Amino acid sequence: MLYLFGLVLAAGFAVSVAAFAGALAQGRAVASAMEAIGRQPEATGRIQFALIIGLAFIESLTIYALLIALFILGPRLPVTAEIIKLLGR
Amino acid sequence: MEQEQGTWLEFLYLIKLGPFDLGSLHIPRFALIPHWVPMAIPLSVFVAIMLAVIGYVGMRRRERIPHGLQNVLEMAVESLEGLSRTLLGDQGPKFAPFLGTFFLYILLMNLLGLLPGFASPTANLNITLGLALIVFVVVQYYGLQNNGPWGYLKHFTGDIWWLVPLIFPVHVIGELVRPISLSLRLFGNILGEETVIAMLVGMSFLSFKVHGLLVGLPLPFALPMMLLALFTGTVQALVFTLLTAAYLAGTMAHPEAEAH
Repeated sequence: MLYLFGLVLAAGFAVSVAAFAGALAQGRAVASAMEAIGRQPEATGRIQFALIIGLAFIESLTIYALLIALFILGPRLPVTAEIIKLLGR
Repeated sequence: MEQEQGTWLEFLYLIKLGPFDLGSLHIPRFALIPHWVPMAIPLSVFVAIMLAVIGYVGMRRRERIPHGLQNVLEMAVESLEGLSRTLLGDQGPKFAPFLGTFFLYILLMNLLGLLPGFASPTANLNITLGLALIVFVVVQYYGLQNNGPWGYLKHFTGDIWWLVPLIFPVHVIGELVRPISLSLRLFGNILGEETVIAMLVGMSFLSFKVHGLLVGLPLPFALPMMLLALFTGTVQALVFTLLTAAYLAGTMAHPEAEAH
């Protein structure tokens, strides 16, 4: 029982901290992109592309944390096991 | 042994052929698709066939002024070509079919999971890893072709010559991590969306007893998440394509590349 408690705690904290840090970093990226667009509106298209690529890099780190959380919870908690088996083909 | 796959294409697993007896060769009874093939593979082939059919049907009668499906297809091709030209400069149209196919294929695969009776093939790591490895091979090939073997190795060294033994492994590892990050990003996003939708659908079924009869009422609680899945599916397809284009731009002569 303590084992399951530890697993759930770990998974919950993993995703929360990753989401928090990711949101912070993405906020700074978007803020500087907005500033750049404000300074030079005709470069909006290129700034948007660079922004999307940068956001994808940051977001992928958060997604790694989610994946680890799913792998931690995976076959050990009953509900998650059923859902993963439903999607698992 | 027969596990339910849960999509419309399950019948492909259930069609059994044989046994065949051709003289000295005896083939026992087998299924059209073996049971150990994950559902994502026939689904991804289905998406590819749909794309080919839509393309063929749209361009059967080519008119100078397009209407209907041909119009839509031409709009798609024009915008994809514009995207390639913005990202890669003059060499853009050369890579437009490559990038365009990736974008449309990944987009349709992501959105397929939202239709009832289907699942997203990209929620399977094998599919995304295959796509990422294709990108890796193509990028290495163009890097070697454009810069030559010596220029390609110099690419990893950086500018400060006495830091090279330190910088070289870092850059090589960075290069090797690219297919891993590409595949895991797409896989994680789509699997996460699908898992959340599945959980919500599982939770939004209200059942109660009416005069001793068990009645079930499905509630559309998963609808907002499905709208979000539309958005993230499109964004992830776009991000995969943009990153591929950025890696390709990195292989070209540096004055042209904008993302370095």
